[in-house]
Amino acid sequence: MLDYLSFSFKNLSHHKVRSFLTLLGVIIGIMAVVSMISIGSGMKASLKEQLEQLGSDKIFIIPRLAYGTAATTLTDEDADAIERVAGVAFVSPLYSVAGDVGFRNERKIVKIYGIDPEKAEATFGGGASGYRLLKGRWLQRGDRYKVVIGYGVASDVFSRDVNVGNTLKIHGVNFDVVGVFKKTGDREKDYTIYTNLDTIREIFGAGDKVTMIIARIDKGADIDLVRLRIERMLEKRKGSKENFFVMTQKEIIERVGEAYRVVQVVFGGLAAVSLIVGAIGIANTMIMNVTERTREIGILKATGASNAQVMKIFLTDAAILGLVGGGIGVALGYLISLVINAVAARYLGEGVLTTTVTPELVLFALTFSLVIGVVAGLYPAYRALRLNPVEALRA
Amino acid sequence: MVIKLENVVKIYRLGKVEVPALRGINLEIPRGEYASLMGPSGSGKSTLMNLIGALDRPTSGRVYIDGTDIARLNDDQLALLRRKKIGFVFQQFNLINKLTALENVALPMWFSGISRSRRMRRAKELLELVGLEERLHHKPSELSGGERQRVAIARALANDPEIILADEPTGNLDTASGMVVIELLEELNKLGKTLVVVTHDVEFGKRARMRVKLRDGMIQEIEGVNHA
Ligand SMILES: Nc1ncnc2c1ncn2[C@@H]1O[C@H](COP(=O)(O)OP(=O)(O)OP(=O)(O)O)[C@@H](O)[C@H]1O
Ligand SMILES: [Mg+2]
Repeated sequence: MLDYLSFSFKNLSHHKVRSFLTLLGVIIGIMAVVSMISIGSGMKASLKEQLEQLGSDKIFIIPRLAYGTAATTLTDEDADAIERVAGVAFVSPLYSVAGDVGFRNERKIVKIYGIDPEKAEATFGGGASGYRLLKGRWLQRGDRYKVVIGYGVASDVFSRDVNVGNTLKIHGVNFDVVGVFKKTGDREKDYTIYTNLDTIREIFGAGDKVTMIIARIDKGADIDLVRLRIERMLEKRKGSKENFFVMTQKEIIERVGEAYRVVQVVFGGLAAVSLIVGAIGIANTMIMNVTERTREIGILKATGASNAQVMKIFLTDAAILGLVGGGIGVALGYLISLVINAVAARYLGEGVLTTTVTPELVLFALTFSLVIGVVAGLYPAYRALRLNPVEALRA
Repeated sequence: MVIKLENVVKIYRLGKVEVPALRGINLEIPRGEYASLMGPSGSGKSTLMNLIGALDRPTSGRVYIDGTDIARLNDDQLALLRRKKIGFVFQQFNLINKLTALENVALPMWFSGISRSRRMRRAKELLELVGLEERLHHKPSELSGGERQRVAIARALANDPEIILADEPTGNLDTASGMVVIELLEELNKLGKTLVVVTHDVEFGKRARMRVKLRDGMIQEIEGVNHA
């Protein structure tokens, strides 16, 4: 066995360029496979984590948009009515608007959420939403012209950091910053300003309109049943159910999940393509290798090598190329997945995408490149073996 | 008889065309003989040598090597026969370029399953025998033609075969190094090996005790055989 290895190393190092190119083919193939699969499984993992983080006890009521504007409006009264539905524990109305926000002499468009601080806390209580204060305090009922800002608003939107005690000018009105949230990793949450519902509606002249109502159900209540009750009740109040959505958390996550699945299929497809490319690369060089060495096969046979011994020589070559290429490919694929992690953390937020290279994946990639190498080397070697030594020597 | 051919016919098929290379050869070469094989180009010398060397099978007829008919052997048995009984020396040397002289000579012993240290020791002895003790770690590309052929002879001796076959061993060499190679082969014959040499050189051919002349795939004449 050792002799076969040393013979192979002599052969491979004698044909440095060719060996290198084959190796490169294997490396690129395996590298692509490892990084693609690690992204795919990372996405799956983070989706699962999000699901767990969010819990499953909330129902969202949103007006359906027609031609960019709400076809119907929801109001505080609707929210109160929803709160009275059997099975609903708390209701938190929300008014969201993208407003122009000034800080020092800069003006930016930023998303603003008007909420009822106590109701919001009751609805999202328990830290499940991912919000945690970095500095300052949370809003209180009766606060006027106070805001709490997401981490992105504090650190990224304006050229200078916004801090507790600073003043933001929203739609021409001054607001005091009383708190800053820690980074949640969710862009939507991090780049939003939070303030009291009444204040913001007053400034934007929105009366008692709300843009979303979030209901938290009683512990142990059947969420689908509660959702149906809310839908029926609103249908009666609004005259039609065509103009709003009543969705459970699960349904929302399922929709997001579908998008993720598409992405996963795309990455899986890329991985499959790179697998095939890698396989063809190995097969190609192995065929070249064997064809070029037909004469050598003749020499080996003329000096007494059996078919099995010649076969072993070629398979050792192929196995070494497959394993070494696979090993380097896995290492580089792992590096790429680390880079993707770093980039994702920087631009998408911490924990949004954490690629994972599992031991199973490493094992799979190595086995795959070994098998491809051997299978690709098998056929041309077998063909060369069928030549008798005289014919092989003529090559 | 260590080599015995009976009505040997070899026909090459090129698509639909049949090329008869040997047309009924009967030949006996005793153990320890020194035979030369001569004849015009295309007369079938190499074809005959390849059959004696168990590199190919006849189309019909029998080729006995040390009593075994090679036509009856499968690939593995042929390989075993080549490994044990035959040492082949080619006109084009047929050394493996990426291996050193030492490794080339040790190669047939690898296939025989001889341990690494033993085959390296013997390869070194054989290279000393052919006068190449200074060239052990040279690759073929770093050797002259004569030196390469001497490496090939050392390789042919690796498994201590009964029969040494040399197909135009001097064909690619100048007269002086050709002479060295011929004398080396004759030395081996004196040590008891059966030697068959194909040559175009009449002077070299005459040195053999038994001289076989081929023409158009048939034996034209055999000289030097005592029919008593
Ligand atoms: N593999 C082959 N396929 C077809 N024809 C062949 C093959 N090998 C040899 N021949 C033909 O068989 C005949 C004998 O060839 P062979 O090589 O035995 O001649 P030779 O006596 O060795 O010639 P030379 O002195 O040129 O080496 C020639 O006509 C040759 O063309
Ligand atoms: Mg010839």
